[in-house]
Amino acid sequence: MGEEFNTDSMLSMFLYESGQLLEKLEGIILEKQDAECFDDADINEIFRIMHTIKGSSGVMMYENITKVAHKLEDVFYYLRESHPEDVPHMELVEKVLAVSDFVTGEIDKIKDGGTPDGDESQLLKDLDEFLKCIKGEIKKQGIRLPKANKQEEPSQFYITPVAGEDSHFYRISIHYRNDTQMSNIRAYSATYALKEVAEDLLYTPEDILSNEASADTILAEGFHMLLQTKSLKEEVLGLIESSEAEGIDLNEITAEEYGKGLAELGRESEPIVIMLDENEQSGKEEKPAPVPGDYVVKAKETGKGKTLAKNQPKQQSIISVNVEKMDSLMDLIGELVIAEAVVLQNPDLKVPGLELTNFQKASAQLTKITTELQEVIMSMRMMPLTNVFQKMRRIVFDVSRKLGKDIEFEVVGENTEVDKNIIEHITDPLMHLVRNSVDHGIEENAEQRTQVGKSAKGKITLEAKNEGGKVYICVRDDGKGLNPEKLYEKALQKGIIENKPISEFQEKEIFKFITLPGFSTKEEVTEYSGRGVGMDVVVKNIQSIGGRLDIDSIQGQGSEMTLVIPLTLAIINGIVVQVGKTPFVLETASIQEFVRVGEDALIQEPSGEEYIVLRGECYPFIRLNEKYNLETSQKSIEDSIVVVLEHEGSQVCILIDRLLQEQEIVVKPIPSYIKKVKGLSGCTQLGDGSIALILDIAGLMLDEERRT
Amino acid sequence: MKILLAEDDFATRKFMDKQLSRYGECDVMVDGEEAVDAFMMALEDEEPYDLACLDIMMPVMDGYQVLKAIRDIEAQKGIPKSKRIKVIMTTALNDERNVKMAFELGCEAYAGKPIDVEKFEKVLKKLKLI
Repeated sequence: MGEEFNTDSMLSMFLYESGQLLEKLEGIILEKQDAECFDDADINEIFRIMHTIKGSSGVMMYENITKVAHKLEDVFYYLRESHPEDVPHMELVEKVLAVSDFVTGEIDKIKDGGTPDGDESQLLKDLDEFLKCIKGEIKKQGIRLPKANKQEEPSQFYITPVAGEDSHFYRISIHYRNDTQMSNIRAYSATYALKEVAEDLLYTPEDILSNEASADTILAEGFHMLLQTKSLKEEVLGLIESSEAEGIDLNEITAEEYGKGLAELGRESEPIVIMLDENEQSGKEEKPAPVPGDYVVKAKETGKGKTLAKNQPKQQSIISVNVEKMDSLMDLIGELVIAEAVVLQNPDLKVPGLELTNFQKASAQLTKITTELQEVIMSMRMMPLTNVFQKMRRIVFDVSRKLGKDIEFEVVGENTEVDKNIIEHITDPLMHLVRNSVDHGIEENAEQRTQVGKSAKGKITLEAKNEGGKVYICVRDDGKGLNPEKLYEKALQKGIIENKPISEFQEKEIFKFITLPGFSTKEEVTEYSGRGVGMDVVVKNIQSIGGRLDIDSIQGQGSEMTLVIPLTLAIINGIVVQVGKTPFVLETASIQEFVRVGEDALIQEPSGEEYIVLRGECYPFIRLNEKYNLETSQKSIEDSIVVVLEHEGSQVCILIDRLLQEQEIVVKPIPSYIKKVKGLSGCTQLGDGSIALILDIAGLMLDEERRT
Repeated sequence: MKILLAEDDFATRKFMDKQLSRYGECDVMVDGEEAVDAFMMALEDEEPYDLACLDIMMPVMDGYQVLKAIRDIEAQKGIPKSKRIKVIMTTALNDERNVKMAFELGCEAYAGKPIDVEKFEKVLKKLKLI
């Protein structure tokens, strides 16, 4: 569905339905691409989908879509009626995909406010030829041709209103000076001036002409209007400007706010109300369907807006949830969690001798509710990966056909749910990984596979699973795998690494080379991959949402790329620690242990690097106070605490002064006006109102490596 | 062609009148009841209208009631489907359920306001009115 708000609900309904149908169509096609032919159920389903699209696009008067859909419907009509054998299946699949692409393209045009003007003639010609060939086939097999599929002209039409999209909605409040005479007349002239540009205009008080007392109301409370118009703010302001007006407030509002009408007008803060899951709305509409007679207009009085005789509640039947609103709800809940901490850990409560039993009870209740609230909003934002995986199916299909590779594509765990924000961020990287697997992963031709005893058909598996607050998305192929020596040489040649012998690198480190900018091992660049931009972008994208990319490969047997992504971004469990007077937050999941060590556990290298030895293992050691130039309150290492942190399988130890508490941390970005400090990923507000910095362990390690 | 226009808003009425007059003689009504009356009268005089453009939000009877009344009268008089008056609803109420109801009640087209004049003419052609 289009992101932007569309004022015409018929149009958005058409777009939504067609989108759903096309997705379903593509699903069927790609699932059956490798089958011998479509079975009856599929043929019926495709026929039905095309029939529906044809019908609805006919009503909406999108002729090119109608024609194309009709032609394809025809094809499936013959398939359904005569069951011919030897239908060139692959060709049919291609035809259906071509139609699906065409319609999708046209629908995108409509979504962007354009007109569907794509040229359908070539596609129609192709389909005609195909149809002819099928008909010929039918005759050859001696089956009688069914009577032609009757083309029913649609008899009902819907004329979409001219571009409702660029309508603006304004809330206008005019305050007149206290000594203004006949302010009601002035208010009326303002409405009159606006009528010229208004598509819709509501105002309060309503009875400005017939009721003289309204003049006092206007003076006291101001005159409020809601305006729907194509004009811009300045033009509107120019129309209503008046010497008597003391102040004019003109604010642009959203269509939804406008829909709430005058009852809400003037209320400053708008409560965020009910949100339904998109999929649930249609089923749960409770507003009764309109019946004739609902829209009789009361006898009109001059100057009054229309009012319906039957008091129709303001339209708000479909609650499509704007992602922005969800985000702001999420932010608010984050603020709430902080505010809760501020109240419950308020320094005022620390006065000795306070009787707090009742307060504790109440606060426990509050904590329970905020936790539930968090869970609810999280669950609302969760979406299954099904759609993303569907797209991958298409990519595998397209690319493998283009490259002439025979590839089986398997999907596991497509119902895994992740935050919507994350879905948006992983689609592109995932697409890249899948393309890479098809292009580079799987061997060029079947002989290369059979020679080493693999089945001729390549296999790519896309798997998603949910484990311990993280989502694992894995792209696995059974192709030739990565060649560490080749990678090493290439990296050397490109000057990406310094002249160190290959034995100094672990295999995993070598695989990581492919994620560095400017690296590509493929000798020839293909249309799909191999330009060496990409993998580094993939990694960057994934890191921006706090995830990572793991690469694993066995030469000759295949490789596996795993995206590990946090389930959600906004709230983490953290432990607050203190260095000097500065609080830091460590993500609980990354902490391995807290230990106290003596001086004898430290190893100092001449270069100044420090290491710590724990149970015979050696770890890099960072003194946070030195790193960030903080004054520490602890003189010796015996009094301080060493924290062992783990990230991507490697450890680092940091030195802190004190542990403060464990709590839920709302992650806020570090404001852009602060210069980017290495090793910090964000900040948060603590219960006492102070700001704590969130340590970014990956960044910390990277920084440490660079220094050495 | 004879056209019946029912529209209570002055500005729209003027605009529609101007538009429709290009295609034929246009009678203008200001509420739903008048529209039904005019339709009946024309039937009795055996000079029926070819096209009706109905607003939905109107005094006394709304557009749906008018549409229903018109179709009921036609059914009662046994007017064949092909000879029925063509009805185009013209309204800003373009909630999908409103549109569906209008189609179920038997209108030929549903035009959202502000009206797309080009498409409107296309529909008239498709309905074989011009």
